[in-house]
Amino acid sequence: MKAGLEVHQQLAVGKLFCACPADLSEEVTDAFTRSLRAAGGESRAVDVAAALQASRGLVYRYEGGPSSCLVEMDEEPPHPLNEAALDAALTLALLLRARPVDEIEVMRKIVVDGSNTTGFQRTALVAVDGELEVRGRRYTIPTICLEEDAARKVRESPGEVTYRLDRLGIPLIEIATGPEIVSGAEAREVAEEIGALLRATRKVRRGIGTIREDVNVSIEGGHRIEVKGVQELRLIQEYVDREVARQTFLLKLRDELGRRHARVPGDPPLDVSGLFREIPSGPFSGAGKGGQVVLAVGLPGFGGLLRSPPGSEERLGRELADHARSVGLRGLVHSDELPAYGVSEATVVALQERLGLSEADAFVLVTDRSHERAFMALKRVVERARVALEGVPGETRDPLPDGRTRFSRPLPGRDRMYPETDIPPIPVTAERLERLRSQLPERPEELEARLARSHGLPLEVVRQLVYGDLVERFEALASAGHPAGLVARLLIQDLPSVPAGSAGTPPFEPSLEILGAVLGAAEGERIAKEGIPAVLAALAAGAATVELAVERAGLSGFSRDDLVALVHKVVEANAEMVRTRGEAAFSPLMGDVMREVRGRRDGREVSDALHAEIARIRARPGP
Amino acid sequence: MSDPSTHDAWNELRALPTGQRVEVSDAAGHTWSGTVVPRHDFSGDRVLQLKLESGYNIGVRIEPTFRFRLLGGGPAATPPSSRPPAPPRAADAGPWIALLTTGGTIASRVDYETGGVRPVKEEREILDFFPELEASGRVQIVPVFDRLSEDLVPEDWRVLAEKIVATFSKGARGIVVAHGTDTLGFTAAALSFLLVDLPGPVVLVGAQRSPDRPSSDGASNLRAAVDVAHDPRIGEVVVVMHAGPSDDRFAIHRGTWVRKMHSSRRDAFRSRNGPPLGFVEGGKVELHPLVRPPARGPPRVDGPIDTHAALLWFYPGLTPERAARFVEGCRGVVLAGTGLGHIGSDHLPWIRAATERGVVVAMTTQCLEGNVEPYVYSTGRDLLRAGVLYLGDLLPETAYAKMVWALGHSPDAAGVAQLLSQDRAGEFHDRHDPRESA
Repeated sequence: MKAGLEVHQQLAVGKLFCACPADLSEEVTDAFTRSLRAAGGESRAVDVAAALQASRGLVYRYEGGPSSCLVEMDEEPPHPLNEAALDAALTLALLLRARPVDEIEVMRKIVVDGSNTTGFQRTALVAVDGELEVRGRRYTIPTICLEEDAARKVRESPGEVTYRLDRLGIPLIEIATGPEIVSGAEAREVAEEIGALLRATRKVRRGIGTIREDVNVSIEGGHRIEVKGVQELRLIQEYVDREVARQTFLLKLRDELGRRHARVPGDPPLDVSGLFREIPSGPFSGAGKGGQVVLAVGLPGFGGLLRSPPGSEERLGRELADHARSVGLRGLVHSDELPAYGVSEATVVALQERLGLSEADAFVLVTDRSHERAFMALKRVVERARVALEGVPGETRDPLPDGRTRFSRPLPGRDRMYPETDIPPIPVTAERLERLRSQLPERPEELEARLARSHGLPLEVVRQLVYGDLVERFEALASAGHPAGLVARLLIQDLPSVPAGSAGTPPFEPSLEILGAVLGAAEGERIAKEGIPAVLAALAAGAATVELAVERAGLSGFSRDDLVALVHKVVEANAEMVRTRGEAAFSPLMGDVMREVRGRRDGREVSDALHAEIARIRARPGP
Repeated sequence: MSDPSTHDAWNELRALPTGQRVEVSDAAGHTWSGTVVPRHDFSGDRVLQLKLESGYNIGVRIEPTFRFRLLGGGPAATPPSSRPPAPPRAADAGPWIALLTTGGTIASRVDYETGGVRPVKEEREILDFFPELEASGRVQIVPVFDRLSEDLVPEDWRVLAEKIVATFSKGARGIVVAHGTDTLGFTAAALSFLLVDLPGPVVLVGAQRSPDRPSSDGASNLRAAVDVAHDPRIGEVVVVMHAGPSDDRFAIHRGTWVRKMHSSRRDAFRSRNGPPLGFVEGGKVELHPLVRPPARGPPRVDGPIDTHAALLWFYPGLTPERAARFVEGCRGVVLAGTGLGHIGSDHLPWIRAATERGVVVAMTTQCLEGNVEPYVYSTGRDLLRAGVLYLGDLLPETAYAKMVWALGHSPDAAGVAQLLSQDRAGEFHDRHDPRESA
C-alpha cells in the first residue's frame, strides 16, 4: 500500500482575506440563505464532484456573528492577502527546505457543498519540492499551499444545510506529502512531525479542529481514496489500516464476481410497491400509501456477496447503501438480509420472480415518498455495483469517530481551479525570503535539544513536550521559576489524567495563573507532588480557587509538624519491630504512613522523616 | 532549444501562445513545467505564468540564464460540457417576453486577458449560463450592446428605448433589460422619461457577482425579473434586484426612485424616499398600489434628448471658477447641493450669469433623501433669486436623466424648467411616510 497526507493547519493571525478575528463564536447576529449553481471553470467544464453537489438542489443557510463581515457573506470582494499568513506559510516552506514560487497566484477551487459562500475556496500554491525526515526516513513534500478555511456546518435538515461563517476565511497552511508512507503507524508519525513543525512557527491555532488531515490511501490494483478531514491524529493509523482492509476486500470481491460472471444490467428499476402493502412496521410500513414507493433492481450473480464474508467487517451492502444515502435516503434493503423487516420468504420469492432472478442473484430495494428520489438512489446504487465488477472506485470518504469511513462523493477532478481575479499576483521577493530566513524559528529537534540542555530534562520527556504541543506553557511556567521537572510532569501526566466532565461540558483548560498556583502549592509544601492530580480534578469539578481545590481534595491542614508527629506515633507503636528488624522495618512502616498522608505530604519528605525516626529509636538504649 | 550564451529565453517564452506546454529550468537545474496561461495585467516583469499539473497557476521569474524546452501534448482538450442540457425551448404559442442584453456583470465571464470580467455577446452563451431562463415561458433574446455600464452614454438610452418599443410592437408582453449595475439607476431613470404608453413592464436587472461564480446573483435576479416581466399589472420601468443578502427575495424598484447604494452587496439597489413598488418571493409578485398600470399603447419613444447637461456635486473648497469651467457649454446643470439644497454663496455670480444666458440650473440634495427647500435659509432664497430651480426629492441622477430628456424637448429655459417641474413618470413623492421608509 501507499499513502500520502495533506495536513491543514489553521493560523492564528486573523483571517486570510479580511480583517475579522480568526475566532470561533457561538454568537449569531444574522442569518441568510443562498443557493449555489455549478458554474463552468476556466475550461467551461463542470467538475463531476461539483455537479453532483449542485444536483442536490439544497438551500444553504449561513449564520453570521462577531467573526464575520461582508467578505465572508460574499457581499464584498476579498481584501489583499494577509501578509502575516503568507509569512507563516513561507517560513514553513523554508523549514521544509522547499522552493517558494516567484509569484503567487490565488486560485478559486470550485466547492459547491455550500461550505463557501462564494462557491469556491481561495487557495494559492506557495512552495514546492520540500522534504521531511522522520525517524530516518525521508518524505517528499511536493506542495505547500495557503488557503482559506470553509464555513463550519452546524445543522442539517432535509433540503437545508446550515453553516456558521466564523470559520470561513481562517488561513490554512496545507502541506502535502508524497505517496511514500507505507503503513498506518508511519502515517501517524509523519503527521505528528508536521504538526510539531507547524507549531514551531508559533503562528498556529490550538485545539480540536484546528489541524485536519486528508489521508490518501491506495493499494496495488486499488484506487486512490481520500479520507477527508481527520481531526484526531491518533485515528490516522486506524483509518489507513481499515482502508487497506476495505480495498483488499473489494479486490477479492471483484475476483469473485468475475468468477461468477456477475453483471449489472441497465434495466430501469421496477416499482414493486404492490408486494409490500401488508407490512405493519419497519421501513416498508408506508408502502403504497401517501405516494410511498418501493423500487427494486436485480444484480445477477451477486447473491450472498452483499453481506460480510466470515471474519470481515466489510460488505458491499454498506457501500451500496452509502450511495443511496448520498441522495437523501435513509438506506436500502438487499436480498442477503431477507427475510427481515416484515418481508416474508414468500415476498422474496415473488420479488425474484418479478425481477427474473435466481438464488445466485441479489436484488436491492429502496423506499421513499418521492419516486424521483428513490429512482435517483437506485441509479447511484447500480452505478456503484457496476464499479464493484472493476474493483475500487476512487472516492472521497468521510472519517467516522469509530475509525471507519463512509462514502462522501466521487474524487474531484482537476478542472476545479481557475484564477481569483479579484486579487493580483503576489511577488515573493528575495528580500522577503531573506528576512524570513534570518528569523526562522527553531526546528523541533533544535527545540528539543535546547530544552533538554537548559532545563536538565531527559530527551524523552522533552519530546513529549514538543509533540504534545506543550512547549509554550512549559516555558512560561518554567521561566516563572517553577522547577522544570515538576512543570513537565504537570503538563505531560497530571493534566491529561484529569477525568473528562460529562458530555457537553467544556473541556478543562486551566489558565497559566491557575497552573502556577497549583505548582506553588506543591513547592510551598502545602500539598505533595502526588496531590496535584487530585487538586486539578477538584478544579475541573468547579473549585473556584486552588485554595478551595486543595481543601475539597482533602489535602489541606496537614503540616510538616503533623507529619513528624504521625511518623513518631507510627514508629513508637512499632518500636519492637524496629529494634528487631532494623532498617528492614522501613518498608512496611512507610506504607502505613503513606496511607495516611498520600497527596498531602511529599513521599521524599515522609521517607526522610521515617528514616530519622527509625534511627532515633535504634539509637535508644533497649528496655 | 535555447542557448543561454547567445540569447535570453524570456524573448521566446514571452511569445509562447496560451495553452503551450513548456518546461523551464534555472541555472541550478530546478524545473517548472506547466501550460502557458495568459499573463496577468499586474504580474511582475519577466514573469511567465504557468498552470501546473496540479491546477495551480504560478508565476516564474525568468532570469537570462534560464533554459526551456517545449513539451508535447498541448492544452488538454476541453471535455464536453457536462452541464445539464437546456430544457427544450418553450413552444412559440402563448405570451412571450424579451431579454435585451446590454452587457454588464450579469452577462459577463472571467477574462484572462485583463484579469477582470468581460461581457458575453452571444445568445447561446447566455442560455448556457441561464438554462432555467425559459422555465416560465418563451424568452426572445435581443442583443443590444455588449458594454459594461460605465461605458454607456445618454445616446445609448435612446437606442435602447427604440429597441424596447420595437420589441413591444412585435408582441412582447414584457421586457427584461440585462444591464451593468454601475449606471443602471441612470438608465432606469432615463427610460422612465423616454418611454410612454407602455403596454407592459420594462424590467432592468443586473448582477453584483458574475455568472461564472457558483454564488452569482445573476440567475436568481434574472428569474425574478422574468416573473415581473410576465406580470400584467405593470406598465412602467422598474429595477428588480436582491432585496437582502438571501437568494429568495427580490425588490421591485421604480426606475426613478432607485439608486445603487453599495459598491458590492447583492441588495445594493434601494428605493429612496419611500418603499419599493413590490417584492418577488417564491415566484409570487407582490405590488404596492402606487404601481402604474399598463397603457393601452402603442408605446413610443418620447425623444429627442440633448446631452449638453452636467451633474455637479458641490463640496467645500469647490471654487466658483472650477464650477463655471465645468459647466461651460451646457444648457442644463443639475447641482447636488448640500442639505436642503445649498451651494457656497460665492457661487451665486456664475449661477446668476448662467441662468441669465438661458442655462437651466436645477437643485437636488446630496443627502439623497428628503426634499430640497429654498425658503428655510438665506442661501436657498439667494439661489432661488439667482434663477435656480428646486426639484423636490428627485435623486441627483434622476434629475440629470430628466434634464437630458427635457433639454431635448424645449429650446428655451422656461420650457425646460416647466418639463422638469412636472411629474412625468411618478418620479416625485407626494408624501414621505416615515412608516414606509425603505
